[in-house]
Amino acid sequence: MERDRRHLPFRLGVLRYGAVAVFAALGVTFWLLQVPSHQMYLEMAENNHQRTLMLRAPRGMLFDRDGRVLVENRDAFSISLVREHTKDLDDTLRRLSTVVGVDEQELRSLVARRRREPRYRPIELVPDASPAQLAAVLSRRLDFPDVIVEQVPTRRYPADDMAAHVFGYVGQVTEDQLTRQQFGEVRPGSIVGQAGLEFSHNALLMGRDGARRVVVNSLGREIETVGELPPEQGRRVMLTVDLDLQRAAEEGFRALGFWGAAVVLDPRNGEVLSMVSLPAYDPNRFVSGIDRATWSDLNTDPLRPLQNRAIQGRYSPGSTFKIAVAVAALEEGIATPDFRVTCRGAAVFYGRPFQCHLKGGHGSVDMRHAIEKSCNVYFYTLGNMVGIDRLHKWSTALGLGVRTGIDLPHEVEGLMPSSEWKRRRMGERWYPGETISVAIGQGQVSVTPISLAVMMATIANGGTRYVPHLLKAVDEGRGWTSVTPPAPAAIVPMRPDHVSALRDGLWLVVNGAGTGRRGQIPGRDVGGKTGTAQVISIEGGKRAAGRTDKDLRDHGWFVFFAPASAPEIAGVVFAEHSEHGYLAAPIAKHVMETYFAKKEGRPLPPVPVPPPVVVAEVAAAAPRLPGEPNE
Amino acid sequence: MFERRLISHVDWVLFGAVLAIAGFGLAMIYSTTFDVIRGTVGPQFWTQLYAVGLGLFALLICLVVDYRRLAERSLAIYIALALLLLYVLLFGVTAGGARRWINLGVFNLQPSEFAKIALALTVAMFFAENRHGAREVRDLLFAAGFLLVFAVLIAREPDLGTAVTLVPIFLGIAFVAGLRTRFLAWLIVLALVAAPVAWAFALKDYQKSRIETFLDPEKDAQGAGYQQIQARITVGSGGLTGKGYMQGTQGQFKFLPVAHNDFIYSVLAEELGFVGVLVTLGLYLLVIVRALDAAKLAKDRLGAYLVVGLVSGFSFQVIYNITMSAGLAPVKGLTLPLMSYGGSSMIATLASFGLILNVRMRRFTN
Repeated sequence: MERDRRHLPFRLGVLRYGAVAVFAALGVTFWLLQVPSHQMYLEMAENNHQRTLMLRAPRGMLFDRDGRVLVENRDAFSISLVREHTKDLDDTLRRLSTVVGVDEQELRSLVARRRREPRYRPIELVPDASPAQLAAVLSRRLDFPDVIVEQVPTRRYPADDMAAHVFGYVGQVTEDQLTRQQFGEVRPGSIVGQAGLEFSHNALLMGRDGARRVVVNSLGREIETVGELPPEQGRRVMLTVDLDLQRAAEEGFRALGFWGAAVVLDPRNGEVLSMVSLPAYDPNRFVSGIDRATWSDLNTDPLRPLQNRAIQGRYSPGSTFKIAVAVAALEEGIATPDFRVTCRGAAVFYGRPFQCHLKGGHGSVDMRHAIEKSCNVYFYTLGNMVGIDRLHKWSTALGLGVRTGIDLPHEVEGLMPSSEWKRRRMGERWYPGETISVAIGQGQVSVTPISLAVMMATIANGGTRYVPHLLKAVDEGRGWTSVTPPAPAAIVPMRPDHVSALRDGLWLVVNGAGTGRRGQIPGRDVGGKTGTAQVISIEGGKRAAGRTDKDLRDHGWFVFFAPASAPEIAGVVFAEHSEHGYLAAPIAKHVMETYFAKKEGRPLPPVPVPPPVVVAEVAAAAPRLPGEPNE
Repeated sequence: MFERRLISHVDWVLFGAVLAIAGFGLAMIYSTTFDVIRGTVGPQFWTQLYAVGLGLFALLICLVVDYRRLAERSLAIYIALALLLLYVLLFGVTAGGARRWINLGVFNLQPSEFAKIALALTVAMFFAENRHGAREVRDLLFAAGFLLVFAVLIAREPDLGTAVTLVPIFLGIAFVAGLRTRFLAWLIVLALVAAPVAWAFALKDYQKSRIETFLDPEKDAQGAGYQQIQARITVGSGGLTGKGYMQGTQGQFKFLPVAHNDFIYSVLAEELGFVGVLVTLGLYLLVIVRALDAAKLAKDRLGAYLVVGLVSGFSFQVIYNITMSAGLAPVKGLTLPLMSYGGSSMIATLASFGLILNVRMRRFTN
């Protein structure tokens, strides 16, 4: 018993100092965690409970020149995943795919694409969700603590694909665009313009995305907002486009059953009043990410709906090119408007016969009447006298074979051959015989519809080649401020008497015995010129294989301005496979009638009715109206 | 039975420290269960407050009854507790996959908490009455039988955490009762040998995964390792002075599960900082040291053994829980005595401090 008592105080002491030692160790441990490592853990805790949500800025609205809304925004709802709170990603995606009816594989690849981003950043899985999808997800909130619904301002484009190529479309910035910093400082997932005005004026339209810093609990539920940087909407932009003229042009094409392109300009300043390219696409299908199937359909469609034919289509100008030949001959002093040539239905140049389209010939014609009748022999002769290089010089000055510089992306240039071009391209000299075909717009020469519109506007205004443009005014927050138009691309030195002679000839085309009588508007002095772009001769027989007859028929051109004495409106209509330029003229007529009716406050004209006779299947059987000879 | 002069021998420092810790606990339960949206405190706070009241009553009873009278009846108390534990196993209230409680209508009683006191009483009485104390292997094995019966009954609930806290109670008493150093060494060797065997046969999968997770928390960052990582973040983000009372984000936004229970100390460290940690660690150490003083001053071996048994179980649980709160021990359902939410634990702990005060108070009586 005594021995035990001796042991007790000692062992109690062991316990006592043991306890002190352990508590000292605990104290040191907490000190290490809370003082030297404090900053690190504090940051980890911050990330735990605060989250930054992106607030997408609504893009700037687009208005027509009268202030009517063209492109606006609507609120869409997207379903997104926040992986931070995901326990089992596979399971979540599997369940979500059945709930919203989206292919699981697709969801998986969406997540995989952005797997390297921070886990708290939402990944959009179902953009622009349908009410049914939203209801399905919201009613299962407890099953999906890691799925959130975000309200996102989204683009709304007009119905019927109107002016689709002008507006373009928006889409998520691509990885490639991010690495090239094409849009400056944008974050992954940002919506940027991918085509059309949306692309070229993205900086103006995009605005600045805002952000909201929120406190979330461990289930990801928002508890409170800590700070908010409100999004800044993009600028309101007024376009030069006139909604009525745009509609009129598109109606015209639909009424007559043609695909094609049209560009209508104000020749006094280069403003684009209307730009059409058909068939078009619905830009609304792009706003929240286009699905793969639709995209590949659009891309592989032989009608190429994604192409803006007005600025990206290259076609043989046909007889419309005769205007450029006339300008070159006049301004080089080679011919006067009174220069006459006798047409006998054909002529021989460099040992080879060249046909005129009127078998019996036009007889003796001066320049005005040669334009009116579109006499090939007259322009063979002029072209031969001018030569390819001077032709190149003047047609280039008028804007053919070069980009117009319109504020739309991916404009292409046509081709205006020259002896130097041929040497460079083929290593061969230019044969004078080749000039004869070029003189009537055949052969190597090709143009874009917009470049022909610019040529017409330049002649209409007496020689100023404006850069066509789409921006009229921008609202920087204090009402509309006019946008300084781009400086003219060139001043073409044309003598006024030459210009009026050209105008006379072009007036005769529409109002005399010419090919453009379907563009005639009584009392409006429309000037114009038809043209035919041969499909077969350019593309060659290889394309004939497997095509229907309609595919092989020529394209028709109609270039125009009005009124001829002091033009206010100028442009081009290009009707695919319409075979004859005069069949494109009613579209231009409808646009011009709309323009004048609007200007004078009269009711807008009705949609033109299709021609009474259906265009025949094959070229040989085409109906020929009296006074409308083939070109 | 109770003499007025005994009041002057009550260790008011120990009593004050115990009350202070319970006060900290109540404050932290208030903070962690406060419903910001409704602007009211959770029902756990009121339950805990009642438990403190009941516990003080239990403390008073354990103080006025001479511990020797209690120890004389320790075998009866032991058998009663064993029957209660058996009852729990058969008819107890199930919650969270375990059957640990007896429904008393007003609240659920957890007999395993009181089993600790019963074991301390019984084992202390056994070694105190034994002429050789804990020196003989035969006696040790016999006394270990008391431990084993309770441990098995409690582990079957299952409540391995509480079952494990019985071991330091037994070892603590055996140690001061003269357990041979050589035998202590053998026990350590045996534990080392038994560990792999237990790993292979005795542990359930969730128990294994807890230990695995502790060794490599990143492996299961969303599951069990999540709690460990979050515990460390919670403590570390508190810093020197803390984020302020009820200003903690980790606990308030439920990144830590059962913040008012197992992880209450993490939240204390977050909201009150290292300063709060030092104060509370100091209070706990003060309680332990003052209790060991009571053992030293005890009039007889019984008193000393009883105090050591109670304080060993208490210390083990405090140290383990605080280590776990810092994310430095496997997550286990071991609460922090006097602080964590839990009525039975609070009542039993206060009752055991009643006994400790009792031993010191009666050091001069016969």
